[in-house]
Amino acid sequence: MKSRTLEKTQNNIGVHEEHPLGVQPRFKVGDRVQVRDMPYLFYTRSQMWARGVVGTIAALTYSDLVPEDEAFNVDGRVEQYYIVRFRQKDVWPEYPFDNDSVQTESPERWLEAA
Amino acid sequence: MNKAHNYGTDGHGHDHKAAPMVEEITDFEVLEIAVRELSIEHGLFTAEDHRRFTEFAESIGPAGGSRLVAKIWTDPAFKARAMEDPVKACLEIGIDWSKPTGFGTPSDYTHLTILEDTPMLHHVICCSLCSCYPRPLLGMSPEWYRTTNYRRRLVRWPRQVLAEFGLILPPEVEIRVEDSNQKCRFIVLPLRPSGTENWTEEKLAEIVTRDCMIGVALPEPGRTADVHPVVKARRPVHHEEAAR
Repeated sequence: MKSRTLEKTQNNIGVHEEHPLGVQPRFKVGDRVQVRDMPYLFYTRSQMWARGVVGTIAALTYSDLVPEDEAFNVDGRVEQYYIVRFRQKDVWPEYPFDNDSVQTESPERWLEAA
Repeated sequence: MNKAHNYGTDGHGHDHKAAPMVEEITDFEVLEIAVRELSIEHGLFTAEDHRRFTEFAESIGPAGGSRLVAKIWTDPAFKARAMEDPVKACLEIGIDWSKPTGFGTPSDYTHLTILEDTPMLHHVICCSLCSCYPRPLLGMSPEWYRTTNYRRRLVRWPRQVLAEFGLILPPEVEIRVEDSNQKCRFIVLPLRPSGTENWTEEKLAEIVTRDCMIGVALPEPGRTADVHPVVKARRPVHHEEAAR
């Protein structure tokens, strides 16, 4: 099976505004989102520390296959990816510094409006 | 004499037989070897291709990242282009994220985000899941970057981990950990230190070390290498004595 990701990446070098496989993003910068805690089989890139935590969309990065499909070369759905920012205190209640934050990236299916 | 270790027969441990030289490898390494050998067998690439790519990947080093930061510091128009489209801007400093395959590598992809520090915001990167790293700009990641110790603790206790690198920042400065877990790669754009006014781009690049672009150190005049002091044990264990 030919990888759609590679085709997309090849087209996308240096041209971030163009997404041949683009989708309509559900969230925008500043939206509050909660990372879903879904079961998964074999593979995910959604860290356990982020699950269930409410954060803020910091950036829209690109649209691409989700890792769960890509890992097994499944020609799955393409989704928008986001950088989500969390307050450290919201991730770890005992975290002692108010201002600190942690960011990670997530495909749309792992996020829901909070 | 500790016979369980089979150190030898003369009672001094000098005449011992050498332990078999078996390197321990992980399940993932076994998997990599299996997939590589199958790929070569099926003609996807040759052993020569693999060797050349490995040597290419290991030869990159962090100099490209240093040039990127130094050029951003000295050229406002370049900075604007770099923040807008980092991968494209990398071409101007001679780094092509698509090389050598034409589409990057499966683990590098071709997405880059530059994390700009301010006086009140300090970024530091890790990959809590594995070892994501901006390799076209920084080369292979340092050993410690891939350890579970660094990547687990940085997410949860960033100030303590930074302190172990000798970087202690006041509480009012926000520390923002970027956990690279998908296809974006990240590089930290540190603040240009004072005392570097009128420096050339080349001279500035010398103080932008790998650790400054990971975010575990700050650039400063005179600091041109990532040297971590070796702390010697105060009471080293003497194995000969322990064996008696």
